[in-house]
Amino acid sequence: MREFLMEHRIRLASVMIGAGLLLQVLTLLRIHPLAFVAFLVAGCPLILGGVAIYLLSLVSSSE
Amino acid sequence: MPATLTILLFAISAILALSMGFFARLTRSREGKILAFVALVIFPALSVWAGFSEHMERATSTSFCLSCHVMTDYGRSLHVDDRSYVPARHFQNNLIPRDHACYTCHTDYTMFGTVKSKIRGMRHLWVQYAGTVPKPDEIKLYVPFNNRECLHRHLGSRKFEEVTSHHKTPDLLENVKAGKRSCMSSGCHDTIHDIGSLKDATFWKEGR
Repeated sequence: MREFLMEHRIRLASVMIGAGLLLQVLTLLRIHPLAFVAFLVAGCPLILGGVAIYLLSLVSSSE
Repeated sequence: MPATLTILLFAISAILALSMGFFARLTRSREGKILAFVALVIFPALSVWAGFSEHMERATSTSFCLSCHVMTDYGRSLHVDDRSYVPARHFQNNLIPRDHACYTCHTDYTMFGTVKSKIRGMRHLWVQYAGTVPKPDEIKLYVPFNNRECLHRHLGSRKFEEVTSHHKTPDLLENVKAGKRSCMSSGCHDTIHDIGSLKDATFWKEGR
């Protein structure tokens, strides 16, 4: 059960991080202030959230 | 880091991260846990750092500054065929890097000058998308232009030190260096972007 929960969190984290990275790479295709805003406001929270979920899964699995 | 390498790093990171989702069972082993840490923490962190650096570098480019419509006339003023226009003279004679023309003059050459420029840039973004955009001729500097930004480039150069117009009065150059007299004082370099007069101006055609 614990392993299943951990894998579920890793899947969620990987999707969030992957989506954040894809969004950020799209912002690099154009030189515009809005691209920079999208990088910071949309891409970074997705990646940070994903990393946080992954780290949470590590902590909870070691309990 | 070149943009192509940054994009490649993002692609590798995204593939690695998404692969971990597909093969989450791998994390049951010790090696899998290490791979997951690399794919979900190390590579994304490296990518974000590289992407942020790339955006910071791009934010100093002329095309970035001129991508806002309100800056169009300021960009045109760089091509005026008139030596009295200070930005045009600098731009057309490669006295400043053309790819970073705006930033070269409008950043502060101090320890935190770049940071201050970025904060001002964020404020401009806010005004552009959430505030009231002023008319181009209503745009003013936050503070009077500091001689320091000109002296960063010109101080010590022979032309700057010896040109006769800088010795019209005995203490003129000393006052300029001390910041007591602006480089843009009336009768000196007082024609800057002057976008109000662009409709009557002729323009230099690059590469003609």
